[in-house]
Amino acid sequence: MKTKCKFLIKQSLKKKMSTKWFKIANLLVLILLIGILNIDRIISYFGGDFEEITKIYVIDEAESYPLFENNFNTLKDSLEDLGNYELENSSKTIEELKEDVKDTDDIILTIRLSDTEYLTADVASFNPIGMMTEQLLQTSLNTIKSYYVLEKTGISESEIASLTSNVSLNKEVTNPDVEENAEGKDLVSSGLILILIVPFFILITMLTQMIGAEINDEKSTRSMEIIISNVSPKMHFASKIIASTCFVLVQAFILVVDVAIAFGIRLLCTKTFAISEDTSMAIMDALNMVKNTGILNLLLKGLPIMLILFLFSFVLYAIVAGVLASMTTNIEDYQQLQTPLMILLLVGYYVAIMASTFDGAIFIKILSYIPMLSFLIAPVIFLLGQTTILELGLSTLICIVFTFIIFHYGLRIYKVGILNYSSQDLWKKIFKSVKEK
Amino acid sequence: MLKVEHVTKYYGDVLAVDDLSFEVKKGEIFGLLGVNGAGKTTTFRMITGLLDKNSGTITLDGKPIDYSITDKIGFLTEERSLLTKLTVKEQVIYYGILKGMKEKDILEKLDILLKRLHIEEYKERKIKELSKGNQQKVQFITAIINEPTLLILDEPFSGLDPINVELFMDVIRELKEKGTSIIFSSHRMEHVEMFCEKLVVLVRGKSVLAGNLKQIKKDYRKKNIHVEAEKLDITKLKQVKGVLDVIQNENEVIVKIASEENVNDVFDCVKTCKGVTKFVVEDATLNEIFLEKVGVMYENKM
Repeated sequence: MKTKCKFLIKQSLKKKMSTKWFKIANLLVLILLIGILNIDRIISYFGGDFEEITKIYVIDEAESYPLFENNFNTLKDSLEDLGNYELENSSKTIEELKEDVKDTDDIILTIRLSDTEYLTADVASFNPIGMMTEQLLQTSLNTIKSYYVLEKTGISESEIASLTSNVSLNKEVTNPDVEENAEGKDLVSSGLILILIVPFFILITMLTQMIGAEINDEKSTRSMEIIISNVSPKMHFASKIIASTCFVLVQAFILVVDVAIAFGIRLLCTKTFAISEDTSMAIMDALNMVKNTGILNLLLKGLPIMLILFLFSFVLYAIVAGVLASMTTNIEDYQQLQTPLMILLLVGYYVAIMASTFDGAIFIKILSYIPMLSFLIAPVIFLLGQTTILELGLSTLICIVFTFIIFHYGLRIYKVGILNYSSQDLWKKIFKSVKEK
Repeated sequence: MLKVEHVTKYYGDVLAVDDLSFEVKKGEIFGLLGVNGAGKTTTFRMITGLLDKNSGTITLDGKPIDYSITDKIGFLTEERSLLTKLTVKEQVIYYGILKGMKEKDILEKLDILLKRLHIEEYKERKIKELSKGNQQKVQFITAIINEPTLLILDEPFSGLDPINVELFMDVIRELKEKGTSIIFSSHRMEHVEMFCEKLVVLVRGKSVLAGNLKQIKKDYRKKNIHVEAEKLDITKLKQVKGVLDVIQNENEVIVKIASEENVNDVFDCVKTCKGVTKFVVEDATLNEIFLEKVGVMYENKM
């Protein structure tokens, strides 16, 4: 009997993975991942106006150009990737400059003194200026206006510097469990976690599709009768669950390898073309940022439990999908019946996204214990530091117990469903089968 | 030996099989007949263990049928039970392994059977690419690849031309000679007459006729007389005592009589005609017996 079960699993996996479509799909995924992880290179490769400099002609009627230039450049340098600007203190008239900036993105800035507002400015350009540029100009002008006002009151330069500098906040959190700079980490954590749960969402979708298609294929060709006359429905059901779970695990492994290849290609390109130290620095910064969030520590701590939770959730979804597939007689009906399952998956996904916003929400915590949702929510709120490892363990335990219960009762439906070809009195038959031992 | 004893099956409140009993000995071909919905498929499903019965027992060689002995059963379903995306070889290996066979043995037997059924060139072809008849051959191979102790054939000749029907019959006869118990179901009564030694006729799950085919035909009182003569007076024949009907065919006239006792009266009538070249008394066909038995039951139920 074990040989038959192994054979059924092998056949299911072979049917799914020995096809050219499986190979093509994974090749496309690899190409896409390489593309996504190297998108900046690709964009640069095809060229564009990345190096274009926006010239700002300043007509200085307030004798504040040196101060403006200093502020503007400091601000521009502090904000990376803001764009390329070049300042010029112009002696031309506004009309002459308007002729000069015709058909360009250049800007004319006129700074003048005002009796009521101390300082005013006019901006003229051939094309509309961008939001970022406007913000940059505004902030720089605000700063020199403050200097101008304070200077008028007779305050010394060092006093002005002290006044205009930011107030330093010395933070102290008394909870010993909270790590340093926890606030800043949340944003990084939530972003990182979302990247981590998306593949699970995709894998579950693949799993339910696989098991549904297989069972419907066997039912619609009536080969189910021959199969079930030789192996028990329990074994058949188990083989489908094991095969589909193995399939998604293999698929997950392929995804990890794909990501590694994509990263490898990125690093290789960096070395080969010596593109810049900036890129390497950026990667190191990103890695350090991840490390600083403390997610890695939590991940390592909770990983064994999370893996068990993921595994049992895969099995649980496979059981439910198998039961639903057994009740239908063709793939179209199955796809319709599968919709609530997909919505449930989406609920889990969105709640997981919201977990970082609604820190400590009781509702989210309750949902993290509900099987079929827990695998998306419980690990996320654990990694965000909202629950303890014990609570993660409890979610896993509930999922395991629920999986066994669903298998027990689902098998009763499965036994009746796989040999049922009629939709007449379907739900009556299903409810009856659940009651029958 | 297959033994079915007092088996009853309900689908909800609907009685599908009603106290059915029969046995099929080793090397015997048994006919299970009935119109659509009579309970044949339900009976087959119970024998193969696909369905649980409400009462009664089914045993094969003295053991109740469960997954420990289903490897000894071959089952050819009425519909094509084939995974059409697989090749012929893959399909036979698939079902063969589920029958507990080793791949090596399956491949050896597959080559022999493909050759025997004249489809050896299709071994690596996908089933969906094959004709209906060739698909039926593949299905037949999957049913007999394990040399079963009990072979269930539900409409085995569906989609086959007369030459291939004969081919199938030869293989089935060989299996019978080897000692396989065979249950056979067909709507074609001439096929059943050619094959079966014993049979059961089901009407709405109940056995209305059962026993040895020869005995059934013998016990059936109505007979047919085949007559060939130059100038046969049909009107006169119809008036003879015990004549139920007279059918004029191209070359002969078939006189249906109520019982063997009426043969002499018909003969007396026929001998007055000129040029009588044939006067043969035959048992009624199984088709006639079936139609009458099933028809009466239908009328009674209505």
